[in-house]
Amino acid sequence: MTGEEFVSAGAGEALASPAPAVRLSGITKRFGSVVACDEVDLALERGRIHGILGENGAGKSTLMKILIGLVLPDAGSISIDGVHQQIHDPLVAADLGIGMVHQHFSLVEPLTVWENVTLGEVGRLDPESVRNRVGEIAEQYGLVIDPDARVGDLTAGLRQRVEIIKCLRRDPSIVIFDEPTSVLTPEESVQLFDSLRNVVAAEGRTVVLVSHKLDEVLHATDDIAIMRQGSVVDRQSAAETDAPSLARAMVGREVSLRSERAALGLLDDELAAARMNQATMNRADPILRVRNVSASGAGGVTLLNDLSLDLAPGEIVGIAGVEGNGQRHLSDLLSSLLPLAEGSVEMNGQTIPTGRSGAMARAGIAVIPEDRHDSGIVLEMTVAENLVLFDQSRVARHRMLDRGELDNFAREVIKKFSIACTGPDAPMWALSGGNQQRVVLARELAKRPQVLVAAQPTRGLDVGAIEYMGERLEEAAGDGVGVLLISSELEEILDLSHRILVMHSGRVAGEMGRADVDIERLGLLMGGAVA
Amino acid sequence: MTAPFATQTSQARAGEWFVLYGLSVLGALLLSALLVEATDGDWRPVVNALLDGSVRGKGRWGETLGAAGPLLIVALGTVISGRAGLVNIGQEGQLFVGAAFATYLGFVIGGPGPLNVVLILFFGATGGALWAGIAALLRYWRGVPEVLSTLLLVTVGAQLVAYGLRYDWLLLAPEGDRGNRNQVSEQLADDNRLPRPDLFGNEFPITVYIAISLAVVVSIVMARSVWGFRIRMLGRNPRVAQVSGVSGTHYGATALMLSGGFAGLAGACMLTGGAFAFGNYQLVPGFSANIGWTGLLVALVAREKALIAIPIAFVFAGLRTGSSFVGSTGVEGRVTDVIQGLLVLALLVPPAVMFFRDRHRARVAAMGRV
Repeated sequence: MTGEEFVSAGAGEALASPAPAVRLSGITKRFGSVVACDEVDLALERGRIHGILGENGAGKSTLMKILIGLVLPDAGSISIDGVHQQIHDPLVAADLGIGMVHQHFSLVEPLTVWENVTLGEVGRLDPESVRNRVGEIAEQYGLVIDPDARVGDLTAGLRQRVEIIKCLRRDPSIVIFDEPTSVLTPEESVQLFDSLRNVVAAEGRTVVLVSHKLDEVLHATDDIAIMRQGSVVDRQSAAETDAPSLARAMVGREVSLRSERAALGLLDDELAAARMNQATMNRADPILRVRNVSASGAGGVTLLNDLSLDLAPGEIVGIAGVEGNGQRHLSDLLSSLLPLAEGSVEMNGQTIPTGRSGAMARAGIAVIPEDRHDSGIVLEMTVAENLVLFDQSRVARHRMLDRGELDNFAREVIKKFSIACTGPDAPMWALSGGNQQRVVLARELAKRPQVLVAAQPTRGLDVGAIEYMGERLEEAAGDGVGVLLISSELEEILDLSHRILVMHSGRVAGEMGRADVDIERLGLLMGGAVA
Repeated sequence: MTAPFATQTSQARAGEWFVLYGLSVLGALLLSALLVEATDGDWRPVVNALLDGSVRGKGRWGETLGAAGPLLIVALGTVISGRAGLVNIGQEGQLFVGAAFATYLGFVIGGPGPLNVVLILFFGATGGALWAGIAALLRYWRGVPEVLSTLLLVTVGAQLVAYGLRYDWLLLAPEGDRGNRNQVSEQLADDNRLPRPDLFGNEFPITVYIAISLAVVVSIVMARSVWGFRIRMLGRNPRVAQVSGVSGTHYGATALMLSGGFAGLAGACMLTGGAFAFGNYQLVPGFSANIGWTGLLVALVAREKALIAIPIAFVFAGLRTGSSFVGSTGVEGRVTDVIQGLLVLALLVPPAVMFFRDRHRARVAAMGRV
């Protein structure tokens, strides 16, 4: 498939019926060994709202970044209005009339609305005309806003309006919204979708809404493309589909279910049954109880919302959910990094003070954090030092570190966990991600924890390392450790967990046993639909 | 990821550092020479005067050692707070307040000689620690950046001590003992002073021995003790420290107060060991004489390494004592302040250059992949 064919096809069509506003064909992008986009073909029509639905890492954002020139594709072609284009720079995209409202705001808080709108333009500044233009756009699309308000004083919903006005001011014919509702309240989302309709209806623009929320894609768009693992796997019309079938399409890949594997003789049936039984038996007596916890962050954003969960010894509980629904804060809570507004965390019936340094670790909770550079390791320290960050007692005498002892201990661990490094004194930054993760795992297991929290433990690791991590987690559970597996990789959760909780908007939206997993319901829960 | 650097041997890299440092220091000296020439001086006599004033003249290296002691002590405190990830820049004030504490309590208690010296040093450290403690309190209770609070407390401290020096129930010497001076404390009795051994005609207080011993202790504690390990962890990654039970409030405040304590100790050492250069065993306005600021620079240049701070402290002390001789050459003595500043800049340039070079190399490597 070549670009030329498309140019000629597009030119031919232009005479008869107008070519689609955007046609992406064969778009492929690899990051290292990961294929973010795999020969994606997609056509976006004028005057319609296109939804692009998919889980984290499905390739939605990469595809859109390619369209606006932030990322260069490895292969494939783009034609705009039937004309082949090379978009190698966001400025080119802007010239072609493609605008994007990004997920994260790029506003200057101390400046006013109109100042932000005109930011980045060249030439003489004419405040009056900018103000007027803001007023015009506001009126035209129902995006009411005071041009002289200071952006720092505005709510998230109004800030997004500023972003949208910024984008519309350049009069783009194609507007992309990347996860626009992630920072909005439900009411603000409804308002946003109303103005989206206006944008389309008024001038026949093309609108793309990138989202992982079933509801909003279903209600706010016309055509839906569902992406999974870098490919568009399905196209549905919003009018003719429903949430369950979207959910199925979004997560319904071939799942290597434990029961299936057992049926194929890949797993020791009795062992699995025994493990399940043990887990079920012990459920009566949980070791970790998280009771109605709520916490909010800067600006009153809700991080955790009345979340409760129990964890029994020897049990692997999977926390599924689309990223950004409070999983990270749950893991922070159990790392003593998040103080609570309400609720409590109990270990063996004892309440653990939240946010007090080391309290959770001392109570027997070990954590493999989602971002190890943030709260898992000290890059500038050595491998040996990183292995004893929590407990120095075994390598210290009279409050002094015994270098020889530390060295021996580190060598032992390095061997046992097959950590590839030049030795105990290798600086942590010199290790690969997978080996850094092994250091974290080794240290956390050395705490002899009663509870092990593993947050996205296999992110960025290769297949071998993923398998290794899975085995270690199962081994820990086998030794009676309660394992809380937080992951946005559904497959990982289904593969390892005995019980699955789905998180949405900072709370547990639903629970199901491993034996009676219903993929459709799982998808609905993850998408925030009531089920 | 590290491919662009892996191709470079560590030897080549060390060589690069060496050349960079050499070039920068040379550049600083060249600029200094140019400056002297530009102000109608001649650089040769200035260099001679610097050397005479710092080491060659009779009794001069004793003088230099006398200045190096407190400089090094201040720098060691700065190393500790720096390792904990805190930026204490109020040593000048902590030193002054510490010296005032030492003066006041030294006279209030006034025990038998040698024991009282130890007490005075202890009180000096306590005063400095408490002064830094205010910054620690503000930092961990109210989130006020310690960079600001420590700096501003320098001014507050100076005013406070000046106030004390105006009333004889505080620090001012009784009327009979102060002659016609009106802001001066009583002079320490002979047996309340630090010994000043005489070596080859050079007399200096034992402060320098105290300082060097402390440098060794600090170096070992930071590198080998569990406490030092935790402080380093806190400085490098406060979130990991929080998870691991190293409380930022506890360890951070301790480090900041220790840092102030070292500055206060330096102040007490200047009081009990200082010759005329440091108030002549008396507390006077301006007693701290920039030792706090310069000590901070020493720590900065030594890049938070206690043992490296030793030679740096001597170099800076030499510039200080040497500068008093520069005046006789007809060149403004304060030219050494500029030289000192240029040297500090020179020693800070190589890390910056390396940073940009590494980034550039990484970028080139990344471009190669696209």
